[in-house]
Amino acid sequence: MKAATWTGVNEVSVEEVPEPTLLNDHDVILKVAQSVTCGSDLHLLGGYIPFMRAGDVLGHEFIGEIVEAGSAVRHRKVGDRVVGAPFAACGNCWYCKQEEYSLCDNGNANPGITEGLWGQSPGGCLGYSHAMGGYAGSHAEYIRVPYADVGTFVVPEGISDTRALFASDAASTGWMGADLAGTKPGDVVAVWGAGGVGQMAARAAMLLGAEQVFVVDRVPERLQQVREHVGAEAIDYSSTDVLAELRERTGGRGPDVCIEAVGMEAHSSGAAGVYDQVKQQLRLQTDRPTALREAVMACRKGGSIFTLGVFAAMVDKFPLGALMNKGITMRGAQVHAQRYIPELLERMEQGELTTEHLATHVMPLSEAPRGYQMFKDKEDGCVRAVFTPGS
Amino acid sequence: MPLSDILARAAGLASEAGSGALKQLQHVRLPGVGQASATDDPETAARRWRAVTVLTDPEQLQAGTPEPLTRFGDRLEIRVTPAPGERGAELAARFRDRVGEDQLGELRSALREAKQRIETGEVLRNEPQPHGHRAQTPQGKVLDGMDERASKEGVL
Repeated sequence: MKAATWTGVNEVSVEEVPEPTLLNDHDVILKVAQSVTCGSDLHLLGGYIPFMRAGDVLGHEFIGEIVEAGSAVRHRKVGDRVVGAPFAACGNCWYCKQEEYSLCDNGNANPGITEGLWGQSPGGCLGYSHAMGGYAGSHAEYIRVPYADVGTFVVPEGISDTRALFASDAASTGWMGADLAGTKPGDVVAVWGAGGVGQMAARAAMLLGAEQVFVVDRVPERLQQVREHVGAEAIDYSSTDVLAELRERTGGRGPDVCIEAVGMEAHSSGAAGVYDQVKQQLRLQTDRPTALREAVMACRKGGSIFTLGVFAAMVDKFPLGALMNKGITMRGAQVHAQRYIPELLERMEQGELTTEHLATHVMPLSEAPRGYQMFKDKEDGCVRAVFTPGS
Repeated sequence: MPLSDILARAAGLASEAGSGALKQLQHVRLPGVGQASATDDPETAARRWRAVTVLTDPEQLQAGTPEPLTRFGDRLEIRVTPAPGERGAELAARFRDRVGEDQLGELRSALREAKQRIETGEVLRNEPQPHGHRAQTPQGKVLDGMDERASKEGVL
């Protein structure tokens, strides 16, 4: 079959690879209908997460049809159109029972790598390096999904592939950020990053009752999508002082909830941006936390911050003093998609949550290298490149 | 020595280096990276209880040694205690005698496997996976070595 693979730093290829097989009784094999680029893939692409092996299949946000099911699969069957969760989660360990699926004790087949890095191993993520389990990803004609009863969700007929596709990760990650940050009616919420995840976090905050929602970015097309499709207020950090702007618009308090949806390759204008770039290139820090620092400084006293952007290891100049003295609560997590997908599909069916606008560039899988390049460079207003392996 | 043999030997060394690097990672304490575990001397480390928390009835675990820990026979001491907060049972094991890193790796892997069998009924596999052409680069072999060793390493 054809698959889009990581073949080196900033190098994606389309190759012939063997088809996946059922390896465990809880597995299914999915014929992939659509699979989409994610901002977190760019960290793999850029070599910031150095656990990719040349030839590894990329992709973790996908929809498709079940074509084969293992003997222990009880609630899915061949022919089901399903959206898949990015993280492999068993559904039976203590973490899964708490609905913290990305922390599954049994989902990462290579726990030794992340235990050494982080003290404990989170679950495994499809198509996201050998540190996260070494699973092949979804940018392929077929994908194996472990623990399929837990990690796949039947899509109601009325929802298009392209809308449901984003329930897999962008919408579930965004929703998780707004939910676990404790967004409640009347809150003011600020989101850093107007990519797919940031937009979905903003939309989730609105649906959870936030009275005012701001999204911070610099890319005009993305800020326009925030206004048009999400209904939130857009702040262009390249043309205004974000902290002053947020103070001015929130009666001097700052947002109640701050959601960081940027991650380890944050951009910033000015000296701070140059400082972070240099430190990262010299490997004196692994991640650039520009947006996170700003969120800490912006957040109101006693407010909360949720980190959705992917970070790998260590950051520099983190304003811990502000965090502590302002009494801020900070959390982060990889996506507990299994917790949110059922509700998201319902909201998608009712038309409360639309996502099609994120799919700015839809193309055959054979064009994956071009798709990633456009996505990385934000060329032609690319928000997400969607691959259609069947076409 | 033919070139192919030299390349194969180099790849083998790289793979061993990857495995070795992973072994060392758990002993490294750098700010933000690898501050996970053991600064114990080898003798203390070998005698430390290694434990997993299994979401199951402690009495069921106390009834008999779970697979695959049985393969260690009486070389292991095994302890099962209820976990706090309805988290199930703490299954801990340690060797009666001093052992090396390899045996500790076997024990880590066996404890993880036992937990998976009890909680999910099977052991999750990740090989073989579809992948593209893989050149025998040193970096690739280092990662292969880490991959191969990953179930036996970590801070458990």
